[in-house]
Amino acid sequence: MKKTKTKAPKQKMSGKKLAATIYRYRGFYLMFLPVFVFAIVFSYLPMFGIRYAFTNYNGIKDPTFVGLKNFQKMFGMANFWSAFTNTIVISITKLILTTLFAVVVSLFLNELVNIHFKKVVQTILYLPHFMSWVVTASIFSLILAPTSHGLVNTFLVNIGVLQPDKMIYFLGSEKWWRFSYYLINIWKETGWQTVIFMATLAGINTELYEAAAIDGAGRWGKMRYITFPALGNTILTVFILNLAKVMNLFESAFVLQNDAVLGTANVLETYIYYQTFNSGAIPNYGYTTAIGLFKSLVGCVLVLTCNQWSKKVRDGRGIV
Amino acid sequence: MKAKKKSNWSVFRVVNGLIFIILALIIIIPMWKILVDSFDLKTAYGMKLWPEKFGLDGYKSVFSNPTLYRPLMISFFTTITGTILALVISTMGAYVLIQWNMPGRTFFANFLLFTMIFNGGMIPTYLVLRSLHLTNTLWVVILFPALNVYNLVLLRNFFEGIPASLFESATLDGCSPMQTFIRIVLPMSKAALASIGLFYAVAYWNDYTHYKLYITNSELYNFQMKLRSVIMGSDMPQTAGDATENTVKNAAIIVVILPFMILYPFLQKYFVKGVNVGAVKE
Repeated sequence: MKKTKTKAPKQKMSGKKLAATIYRYRGFYLMFLPVFVFAIVFSYLPMFGIRYAFTNYNGIKDPTFVGLKNFQKMFGMANFWSAFTNTIVISITKLILTTLFAVVVSLFLNELVNIHFKKVVQTILYLPHFMSWVVTASIFSLILAPTSHGLVNTFLVNIGVLQPDKMIYFLGSEKWWRFSYYLINIWKETGWQTVIFMATLAGINTELYEAAAIDGAGRWGKMRYITFPALGNTILTVFILNLAKVMNLFESAFVLQNDAVLGTANVLETYIYYQTFNSGAIPNYGYTTAIGLFKSLVGCVLVLTCNQWSKKVRDGRGIV
Repeated sequence: MKAKKKSNWSVFRVVNGLIFIILALIIIIPMWKILVDSFDLKTAYGMKLWPEKFGLDGYKSVFSNPTLYRPLMISFFTTITGTILALVISTMGAYVLIQWNMPGRTFFANFLLFTMIFNGGMIPTYLVLRSLHLTNTLWVVILFPALNVYNLVLLRNFFEGIPASLFESATLDGCSPMQTFIRIVLPMSKAALASIGLFYAVAYWNDYTHYKLYITNSELYNFQMKLRSVIMGSDMPQTAGDATENTVKNAAIIVVILPFMILYPFLQKYFVKGVNVGAVKE
């Protein structure tokens, strides 16, 4: 997002002149103050809390320094590793699926001729994005219920795919949970993701298509040589931007999971949450801070790698 | 040959139209089912897409019940105050970031961008907020989401598009930074303010994570928290009249999405604009 702005060449300012400039800008510093304070309180102060990762701390007694013990414990925990792999697998599969669906839907959406129909369709497709994950989870826990109340299961029974006594626990069995999670994500996010692809498609110069038609390109030829290359850059951008966020998966998994599916559904953030607030024992904030630190570091490496990648692919523009 | 191509093309148009009707139905049917069941006083049957015994008792149960009414008011209160606060501090911050010659501008920009790359994590954040006595107050759910760096960058991108000559002439006329901001920047950015304001409002209305992490006092829950416990069955409110539990659950879902559903068709263009504010500069 950083822009190369043609700025006035930096002159060496004398201390006096600098002080005068700062004085001239005093109003701006005052206007920045709220943002500054918010960033300190909600982002920077917590960073200092990372020191707890090297201590045992239960919130009552003072923290005691234990060195790398928490990390040793973490790497020896099967649950931690399962949460770690779940995070990576679920996040990346979700990202690939929603991007893929959004691209395909955009291509077809772009071919709709009737403007009014297109507008109505777009309005409907965007809608689920604005519903909270709690609402989404509520809707689907009712729709997917494995009883005669559940729309999907009764439908499958009625068309003869399922036996009435063998209804599927979509959100309650390890076999089906991830499948259902991906479907719900596709339902919720595909439409909104098309916004950016539609903007790219709208930005393609129509003269290119006309020129291609003169050269004898059919519908497929135009797609192959004009539409796909133009979309490719946007797809890569969206993919890179989102790849940086894969470690942050929390709310969507949290509201859709339950004890029966934790083996396949538990991700790092939810693991940290349960270990701290729901374990039944006095929490060791030190241990869960250590997991969080590991998560943040992996996330940070991902962002920086993606940033390098982005700079290479997008002519020098990073993502941050 | 020519005629065959033409007819292929119109077949494709029809099929394409049908595909989107099906897609739209896939989006709508789950919501429609919830709406139908919220009006249905008979226990719901899966395939029913029209209420069997119509009645409003589900909604009566929601609105007559103080344990549901209070969270709804908290949702409205935090959404309104939070959105205003978020817009005020984000616009001011974004405006400062386009002062290219201000000493320290680059530092401030990097200071904000770093928070997008690295964070202290869930537990240190919780411990800091607890030590500041912000947990278990509404302050935390109003203040925390008020600074969204991504939204701030979108606003900055928009402000960059305002001609610099306007700022210069305002300064020559003796306007202070704040006066320029209020008299020139804000009036010129109405569309961007609407878009970003809506993004913030949706985030506040939909907030669940901040409540879940930082608030344990159920008196301070918003409607999302309440809805969650109603759906999970841990906190079923008393039902009024003939409403079944299922009716009340469905009615509660509708109540929480209704305000947005009513406004959405009118506001949709602003949401799309908001994304494109950033995309133009990408």
